[in-house]
Parts: sequence; C-alpha cells; structure tokens
Amino acid sequence: MQFKSMEMTRDEGPVFDELYSLISTISGAKYAETRYHCRIINEVIFSNGEIELIRNVSNSGCGIRVLVDGCWGFTSTSNISKDALKNALYEAMSIAKLLSGNKKKKVAGLAEVNQMAKGHLEARVNGNLKNIDIEQKIKITKDAEQAARNYSEKIKSASCIYREILDHKIIVNTDGAEVQLSDSKPEFNVTTIAAEGTETATISEGIGITGGWDDLFAKNDPLDYAISASEKAVKLLKANHVPGESTTIILDPGMVGMIAHEAIGHMVEADFVLSGSLVNDKIGQRIASDLVTLVDSGGSKTFPKGAGTIAVDDEGVRAENVIIIENGYLESFLHNRESAFIFDTKPAGNARAYEYDDDPLIRMRNTFLEPKRDTVDDMLKETKHGYLLKGARNGQADANGEFMFAFQEAYLIEKGEIKELMKGASVSGRAFDVLKSVDMVGKDFAYDMGTGYCGKIQPMKVDGGGPHIRCFATVGGLQ
Amino acid sequence: MRTMLSLIDACSIAVKEAVRNGATDAEAYGVNSKESEVIIENNDLKQSKSHEIGNLGIRVLVGSSQGFSSVNVFEKEQIIQSVKLAIKLAKVSPPDNFNSIPHKTAKINLLTKIYDKEALGFELSDNVRMAKDMLLTARSYDNRVSIDSGNFTSALLTHMVLNSCGISVTENMSLFSWSLMGMAVTPDQVSNFDVQIGSSHCVKDIDVISTAKEFAKAVINYLGPRNVDSFRGEMILSASASTELVQEVIAHSINSNNVQKQASKFKEDINSSVSTDLLNLEDDATNVDALGASSFDREGVDHRRNVIIEKGILKGFIYDTYTANKDSVETTGNAGGSPKYPPMVSTTNMIVRAGNSKLETLISEIQKGVIINRFSGTVNPVDGDFSGVVKGGYYIKDGNIICPVKELMVAGNAFDALKNLTGVSKETKSLPDSILPYTRFSNISFTASER
Repeated sequence: MQFKSMEMTRDEGPVFDELYSLISTISGAKYAETRYHCRIINEVIFSNGEIELIRNVSNSGCGIRVLVDGCWGFTSTSNISKDALKNALYEAMSIAKLLSGNKKKKVAGLAEVNQMAKGHLEARVNGNLKNIDIEQKIKITKDAEQAARNYSEKIKSASCIYREILDHKIIVNTDGAEVQLSDSKPEFNVTTIAAEGTETATISEGIGITGGWDDLFAKNDPLDYAISASEKAVKLLKANHVPGESTTIILDPGMVGMIAHEAIGHMVEADFVLSGSLVNDKIGQRIASDLVTLVDSGGSKTFPKGAGTIAVDDEGVRAENVIIIENGYLESFLHNRESAFIFDTKPAGNARAYEYDDDPLIRMRNTFLEPKRDTVDDMLKETKHGYLLKGARNGQADANGEFMFAFQEAYLIEKGEIKELMKGASVSGRAFDVLKSVDMVGKDFAYDMGTGYCGKIQPMKVDGGGPHIRCFATVGGLQ
Repeated sequence: MRTMLSLIDACSIAVKEAVRNGATDAEAYGVNSKESEVIIENNDLKQSKSHEIGNLGIRVLVGSSQGFSSVNVFEKEQIIQSVKLAIKLAKVSPPDNFNSIPHKTAKINLLTKIYDKEALGFELSDNVRMAKDMLLTARSYDNRVSIDSGNFTSALLTHMVLNSCGISVTENMSLFSWSLMGMAVTPDQVSNFDVQIGSSHCVKDIDVISTAKEFAKAVINYLGPRNVDSFRGEMILSASASTELVQEVIAHSINSNNVQKQASKFKEDINSSVSTDLLNLEDDATNVDALGASSFDREGVDHRRNVIIEKGILKGFIYDTYTANKDSVETTGNAGGSPKYPPMVSTTNMIVRAGNSKLETLISEIQKGVIINRFSGTVNPVDGDFSGVVKGGYYIKDGNIICPVKELMVAGNAFDALKNLTGVSKETKSLPDSILPYTRFSNISFTASER
C-alpha cells in the first residue's frame, strides 16, 4: 500500500463541506464533479556557480465539470466562496447546455464504478518534504552543480535543478466520490556541457519520484548524479556520431519506458482510439513478441514510487493496474468513464487533470514492461552487430504507429562486445514491428522518466521504465 | 467573507507590503484573463470551458539577493503571505550584484492593434460557431479526414507590471487562437498526423476556414507514402518544421543568459557570419501580426524591434535587465515569462524576412531532396545536432514532387545547415510567436529504414 488512510483535518473541512453542499444542490445535470486542488511548487536552480532561480508557487482553486443534455461543461475558479462556486456551477451548466444543441454524438453514459473513492489518502513518504528546510534544498543543488563543474576543466557549463510538487485535492462528485488526496513529487536533475575545441557534449542525469526527500536520494547521492553526468559528457567529447542504419539495439530501462509510453501508450488512450488509432480493431490480436507484457499502473506494489503514481484519478476512480499487452496480445485500452462506457469496460483511474483549471483527460501514469529472465551480458554476447542505447531524452509517436525517441549515448557492439562509445541521436520505427522484434527481455527493472512531463494538451507527471530489452529499429545519426 | 482584489490593487499591495517587510526593491507582475474555449475531439464538439484566471508574481530584492513567489488568489492575506515567502527566499539566496529591478525611463507607447473592442461582444456561441465551421470544413473536404482534437479559444487579457522603482504599466489584449490535429484514415492505412494552428488579435482576422482547409489538404496528401533510399541532398523546411529544427537553436544561441553561461555556439560571433546572406532575422514584439506582441516586457521595459541577423551576420543578443547588467549594456526588452516565474530572457516574435523566390521555384531547383512539414526528433540547442523522423514529408527529384515519404530519418547540424541555406521563400506563415518563410538547405543526410 503506497497510500495511507488519514483522518480529515479540521482546516480542510470547510472546503469539503462547501463542495459537498454544492454537489447536493445540483439538479438538471446527469453528472457533476467538483475538484479542489491546491498545488505548491518549490524550485531551486543553480547554474555555473550562481543561483538562477528560486521560487515558490501557490496555485489553488476549484474545477467544476458537469454533464448536461449529453454534453460536458467545465469551469474553474480560484475563489472558493459559496457564491463563487455556485456561479461557477451555473456557468458550467449553461455552457454545456449551449454546446449540447450543436453536438452530434451525445455522451450516452458513464461507466459504472464498483466503489467511488472515499476518505483521506496520503502518499507514504520517507522524509516529508515540508519538514526539509529550504536551506538544505539550496545546499544540495549548489553542491551538485559545483561538483559537476569541478569534475573536469572540460566542463564549461553545469546546472542543477531541485523541484518539488506538493498536491492536495478534494474530489466530490454526484456518483459518490468523497475523497481527499495528498502526495508529493520531488525531482532532481543535473545537466552538464563539456567542450573541447569545436566539440561539445551535453548530458542530463536525474531522478523524479512520488515520495519524500529520503526516497528521492535512496538510490543515489545527489553528487553521484553530478559526477556521472560530467563523466559521461567528457567521454562523449571524443565520441563519433552513430551512422544511420537499421540494426539490433539494446535499450536501457529509460528507453524501454519511452517505447512503452510513446510507441504504445499514446496509441491505446481510448480518446485517440476513437479518433482512428491503428490499434482500433486489434484487441485480442498479437501485436508484439510473446516476451512483451506492458502495464500502466497508478501505483504498482512491485515497482513503487514512480513519478506517475496516484491513488485516485480526477473522476474519483481508484487507480488500478491496466495490462495493455499480455505476452504479446493487446488486452486493454486506457479509459476515462466516458470511453469505458463506450467500450463496455471498467475505468481504472486514467482520467487526470494537471491543475485545478484543467479538465480530466485520459492519461498514462507509470507505464512499463514487465521484466523476464535475460541479463544485459547475455544480450551483449548474442549480438553480432548493434548498439546499446542509453539515456532517454524526448520522444514522440504518430498516428500511423511511427515513433521516435532520442538517446544520449550509444555503445557500438561488435561480435558480442562493447567496442566504442558514440554520440546520441534518435531511434525510430513502427511500434508493432519493433515490439514484434523483441527477442530478449532482462530481469532487471528501473523507472527512468520521472524528471519529465508528458504533453497532451496539458503537461502531466508520468513515469516509465522496465528492464533492458533487445529489439530491431532504425538509428539515425550523421552519416 | 472573501474579498478578491482588482489586479492593480493586488500588484500595489504586493509591492507596498514587500517594502514594508524589508525588501530593498520589489516588483509585481499580474495577469488577469477571461477565457472561453470550445474543444473538439473525435470529429465532434466535445466540451465548453470557461475560466477567469488571475496570477500574481512577486519578485523582491533584499540587498542583492533575490526571492520570488507567485499566488493565484487575489486576497489580501494570501498576497501578504506570498510576499513574506518571497522575502524569506531572498534572505536564504546568495547575493548577486547583477540583480536589479529596472527604473522608469521614457513613457511607453502602447500598441493599438492588440486589443479589439469587438472582442467584448464575442460570446461562447461565437466560439461554438467557429469550432463548428472548422470541423465541418475539414470533414467536408474529404470523408477520410479524421480529427483527433482541436479547439477554438477567445480570451481577454490584462497584464500589469508595478515596481518600487517607478514603473507602473498595464494594457489589455484580445486573443483568438484555434487548432486542428488529426490524420486521414482509410480501411488500410492511417496517415501521418498534421497540426494546423491559427491566431489573431482581432475578430475580423479570424480565419478558421483556411486553417481547416490547409489541415484537410495536408492529411489527405500524406496518404500513400513510399519508402525512399538513404541519400544526401536538400531539405525545404515549412514554417512549423523550421520552428522545431532551426529557430529553437537560434533562439537558444542569441539568448544572453546562454551566452554568459558558455552554452551558446554564437558566444563569440557578434558581427560574424553565422549563415549565408539569405538570412535576415529579427525579434519584434511590436509586430502585431503574431500573438507574441505586447507593448512592454515582463519587467515593464518597452518592447522594440531587435535586429538579430542581417544578411547572415549576427548583430546582437537579446537581454533582460539582469543579463544586461552583467554585460554592461542596455536591456533589449526581452524579459519574458509568466507570473509563475521571475523574469528571464526570452524571444518574443521571431521573424525571418521573406526571400525572393517562390516556393515552387525552390522546389524546381532541387535535384534530390525532401520537403519537411513537421519534424519529430531531437535538437541539441547547444551544439546544433539534430536527428529525427521526417513527418508530412515529400520526396523531390529533378525539380518535381514525387511522393509523400515514410520512415525516413533526417540528421544534421543546425549551425552547419545555416551555412548551407540556399533559399528563402516569398511565402510566409504566421505562427503564434513567429512569422517564417519556407527555407531550403543543402547537404543534409537522410536515412531510410530497412524493411
């Protein structure tokens, strides 16, 4: 259990009562939800020995969404007084009614939920971020940035960022959700730029999780990220570019997270499926090698602390695991309650809104490949020619299944041995082709997308990962 | 009883309270916006949205140490609490003698064409009509067109900078923006995505029909793509592809903050050639044809037209007050950012001046190359290396467009490409914060996938 049940605190009672009272008075809407969201962001950035940014942001208010005459209306307000909330509700109902006359396909219904979330759920953390002084957050950022620069004279620029997102939500809806949620998502990242002559190399190393201060640095010390980033950047200065070719590749857990998220995850979001995604008619069909089992999880017990961890989504639905692909067969799409009704299935907590003034959209949480039995050594030994790709950067997918994502480092493999470090580029392929080509899956596991955000109209904290895998795709470098 | 303050009162209280609580200087940047949006999803209208949003950013200096906090609830108590937090952060921040808040200089001339009074009468029903027109136009162009998502948004916005050094400026803006994203779908294939975006400040300039037609035409033309062999040749970038592949690299390299951090390839290139003489680029927030227009920057300094590259020669960098202090120069009015961030250097409207050749001429002169409408890949803004997949691309041979392409990767270096800029089109396109022509580059590497 990653979330613990808490008593409702007294100072939060009035907001809960206002929302409950508002929901109780609604008439004329098939469904309504009110979501109070208070988000605090604290951030420190050091760059080249100077503080570049220190900020505290408080953003709070209430989002109100209604379903009237088969059409959605959404309003938000930062004023949570009784009158302001009433006005916002009235506005949401008015605009839904207005649009309803112009909408062709009315929302026919929302999928039933066995039990809407109730109570107060708070993420279990080691080292509550609220109890860590800002001075300590400044110090680790400053020290790590300095350590990165001190690593070598070739490091010409370094920056280090510490950011924490502290969320508190209250969700009350007409279908029975009455829940308060609290969690914290800290992240830490070091970026270094090495330069020598006309050559430069940039490396980022970091971590982002759902948890506390001690959780963030449980795996590595802050300085480890700094030194590792600088070490890699300096080594890359002398590296050659990867030539463009279609070849065998071994992907590290971050790259596997990218495949899971970009190449498959977006394609199985039900809103995209309804618009004509390639997987539209492929439920039950083989779309990947039988070594591939792909999961989207609100909070896996086996692999906890992912940055996309949530207890309950913004429709008040408890977050459960969704097995998207099981042993190579497409099993499930990702749903909100509206799409789950259309597909006659149950939602599993994928409706997420970024801030109070955003409406819930179908989003991923922690998306990963299940580990199997192989080791990285085995993968290397059995590769005559190919690359070990490390350090995922950005990625994108297209409607036709083509995806691309970038990597920071490539290691040339010849006759089962690592021969040469090469500069990063991007890898691309067709999702199904690449997943069918997976012939080895490691027994290791890591999340490695926690410092990034997924962009789909709104930003969103997600995570992704898995074990190392071996597959076939096109690597595009400078020829 | 909760009392919400006006924007001017919120800014004024923030600055007064900051000084009263020990700040040497203080600045408040506030934005109020009233926004209405109709969302399109899955070939239908999906949802109406409406918001009134306020945000206040408070920057304080205690000695030469800076702190910043932001709050979105305009209640006196919340603002005072936010001010105290900003001061607390300043007190634990290291001092930096280059920190300063700008003083009032000459009176700012407010731009007149970024606020349309007609926008006051633009109602949600008008938004619905526009979204519907866009949807119908795209869908009736060809029944294979499938719209994944889109929107039409209208907004009235007021922003204000008030500081303890005499600056107090405010202005209103009206903003309309719309978009369509989707693909063409047939029983046996799905095309590449296309995204088309439109924007205007004035009601009379809203043109959703053209955007919808352009989107529909693009996705239909993307059907039936073919694989081509790997080759080295020329590429023509559309405005959208240019933004991702070249403009972001230039924006990074002309940013004085990156220059000072040794993270810009242009750091020693002032008055040197960084491109062929076909490139003329300026940063101009006073150009009202793009949505990045406004009269003053995030620090309340007047906006102006800044010439960046003239006939391929780098003429200058862009500055805010902090980076200008470091280089002992004047700010160029390029402090940017929302009220959730302290001011930081950023571009406004990036404008590449139109060239002399028609697009069809640029195409006709190519022996072997690709037109790229969208780029899906990665670009390193520091060293300029790019690598990714061609999207919405067309293969050109002997001056003729042969076919749409698939699974073709493009890789190169943006700085090298600028030195190989061989053509700039007469045609330009306005994007939300840029106005760009088609640009042609030689000696680019394309890698085909093996089937």
